[in-house]
Amino acid sequence: MGEFNVWTSLPAVAPEIGLTILAAVVLLLDAYLPKEKNRARNIAFVSAVSMAVLALTPFIWAPAPNTSELFWGGMVRHDALGQLFDVMILLAGAITVMIAVDDSGVGRRGEFHLIVIIVTLGGCILSSSADLVMIFVALETVSIPLYVLAAFRREDNKSSESGLKYFLFGSFASAILLYGFSFLYGLTGSTQLTAIAAGLNSEIVSGNLVAVLAALLMVIVGFGFKISAVPFHFWTPDVYEGAPTPVTAFVSVASKAGSFAVFMRFLIEAFGLPAVSADATSTLVVIDGQTIQTFWVNLLTVFSILSMTVGNVLALRQKNFKRLLAYSSIAQAGYTLMGLAALQAQSAIGQDIAMASITFYMFMYTFTNLVIFAGIILFVEATGRENIADFAGLQRRSPWLALAMTIGLLSLAGIPPAAGFFGKLFLFQAAVEANLVGLAMIGVLNAIVALYYYLIIIKIMYVDQGIDEDKPLAMPRSYAWVLGITSVVIIILGVIPTPIFDLAQQGAAAVRLAMGS
Amino acid sequence: MEFNFITVAFIVFSLITLGGAIGVVTCINLFRGTIWLMVSLFGVAGLMVLLSAEFLAAVQVLVYIGAIAILFTFAVMLTRSITSDKMRFTRVWVNVISAGILFVLFALGVIYPVWVANAATHFPVTDAGLATTTDLGVALVSGSQFVLPFEVAGLLLTAAMIGAIVIARDADDEGN
Amino acid sequence: MPPAVPTEFFVMLSMILFALGAMGVLLRKNAILVFMSVELMLNSANLALAAFARQWNEMDGHIFVFFVMTVAAAEVAIGLALIVAIFRHKQSINIDDLHQLEG
Repeated sequence: MGEFNVWTSLPAVAPEIGLTILAAVVLLLDAYLPKEKNRARNIAFVSAVSMAVLALTPFIWAPAPNTSELFWGGMVRHDALGQLFDVMILLAGAITVMIAVDDSGVGRRGEFHLIVIIVTLGGCILSSSADLVMIFVALETVSIPLYVLAAFRREDNKSSESGLKYFLFGSFASAILLYGFSFLYGLTGSTQLTAIAAGLNSEIVSGNLVAVLAALLMVIVGFGFKISAVPFHFWTPDVYEGAPTPVTAFVSVASKAGSFAVFMRFLIEAFGLPAVSADATSTLVVIDGQTIQTFWVNLLTVFSILSMTVGNVLALRQKNFKRLLAYSSIAQAGYTLMGLAALQAQSAIGQDIAMASITFYMFMYTFTNLVIFAGIILFVEATGRENIADFAGLQRRSPWLALAMTIGLLSLAGIPPAAGFFGKLFLFQAAVEANLVGLAMIGVLNAIVALYYYLIIIKIMYVDQGIDEDKPLAMPRSYAWVLGITSVVIIILGVIPTPIFDLAQQGAAAVRLAMGS
Repeated sequence: MEFNFITVAFIVFSLITLGGAIGVVTCINLFRGTIWLMVSLFGVAGLMVLLSAEFLAAVQVLVYIGAIAILFTFAVMLTRSITSDKMRFTRVWVNVISAGILFVLFALGVIYPVWVANAATHFPVTDAGLATTTDLGVALVSGSQFVLPFEVAGLLLTAAMIGAIVIARDADDEGN
Repeated sequence: MPPAVPTEFFVMLSMILFALGAMGVLLRKNAILVFMSVELMLNSANLALAAFARQWNEMDGHIFVFFVMTVAAAEVAIGLALIVAIFRHKQSINIDDLHQLEG
């Protein structure tokens, strides 16, 4: 690391600095803007546009190509993967603020925007953390304000209840995660992830296989909660249904993307990667002749299969749209876990594809989920109903809304030309490269089951007769922009996925090289 | 473990900590539960002193007992739930047994191999080189150490403070 | 000179505390008590971290404890606000009464 130099360190946290300034500005605007009709809308506009502009900073202050350097005393890495996660989390924040504008009781309060900005900041820093202390603080910076947002609609019973449930489960999971961290520190005497890997490989830890596995298990339980993987998914449907819809949208993308990014980094940096060729060195942690990676790959494979299957099967019988999306998001976490299991690949290309496919999947999932949630918010604000059956005849009430939601649903189902197709394709490819053909097959089967409930919704919107079909839905301009931009991004990612995927692959290669394997 | 003043203190503080914890887990009266929590937190503060982490012990007393436990007391009073907790437990035996198994697993799987069977970690420890409060303070603001989490924690506290006010405020002062 | 109380005693103590806290979370029905048990779990982690910091003769563990306390303070502020908010709606903070959301 060498001598600390503030000027060379600043680019690693450029978006975070921008977000801190933005938070202060929004706080002041909320306190001093005169009361008038468009006040909340103006604040929302300022924060949304600023976050969208900040999404450019990772490219302006880009990391040196093909490097993954540590900055700020080993707290964060600055690399292309972190850059991509920063972009998606910042855009998720911007879009959330935009779609919350007209949601009653949420977007009209200035504090909402401030808390969204701080969660975004936590997510950005989480996705590039490289130290246990930083991971813990960033993870809590994402989680704790989200508990508040889930309960933000005070007059609504359901919202408070979902906030409390999210909080109780979330703090329990954090405590377990923290205990796992404390063991890793105790075994190796270091909080820096790569130093932990070195410590675990040294003589001192030999004979302590069970202790390492117990610590790893506790960490996996903690992260499993954050990404809502089965069997730690209990909170998901209730929180998704009860929280205000813009908050649900934000929880489902920002918190999930950040957690997946840091989970991936944790497993790679603290437990190593296999050697990519015969003459390369393996960085895998081996204790008493047992490779730790075998343990977590098997465990995550099981969780992946469980999440896909349980999520999809339970989604089949949901009537509430938000609950359906909750189970769908559990299933999507299952697909993404496949990418983590694929990190056991023995070739450079296999490991790169595994990391890049997770990144690409989260990237497209961010836009996909946001477009559907934007549609739900628009519909629920107009009609006050959120059951799937109520969407009947939507195409005749608002053809553009129906089209945007169809694009989102096709993307979730993985049908071209929507981005979800390539998202799933890359994950399956990664699994096959890593000799996990069986897992890939189960993934394909699950994707086919999932087709059913996504296509049913499209059929309901286009074919079924609704009760008030003659009443067209008004489309406010901010929603029109959000729906338009996200739909176009989904289609572009679905037609030419290579720019983002190549960037993700470069970032993956940089991480792999930085690990020394 | 030789028998001297420090071991006696360790045993006393351990009993305080665990006694308080058992009090929290089994109490009927919720208000007494908060007092038990304070007792347990105080025990941990004492143990921190034995671990030559005096600064952390002070913070433990100030933050945990002085602020967190007092907030719990407020919450108990605000929700008037002191006597309403008739039904104490859910699924008692399942949970007692699973917690027992959890602990035995920990003890057999972690304690024994790490610190009893494994002589490699039994290197002598002296308190001489341990960090002072000054070192901790410097580490928190040094760019090559922990300044980044320190700043992020500051923002987290700001967000939490604002959020707590937003959700706990009465619905009728909207717009003031 | 070895310290009078070896590290493993502190770690053993912290494990008992962790198991007690976990038991409290799973056993109790009152939201405040569940949350107090979570605080016990966080304290057990703090105790383990401080013990390990002495074992390794290193400061990072102390810093970690400091951050855990900070985060716990934020968590408590939010948690108790949420509990007070739910009490206003339901006149109860029994977690078995949280069944508005089911399906």
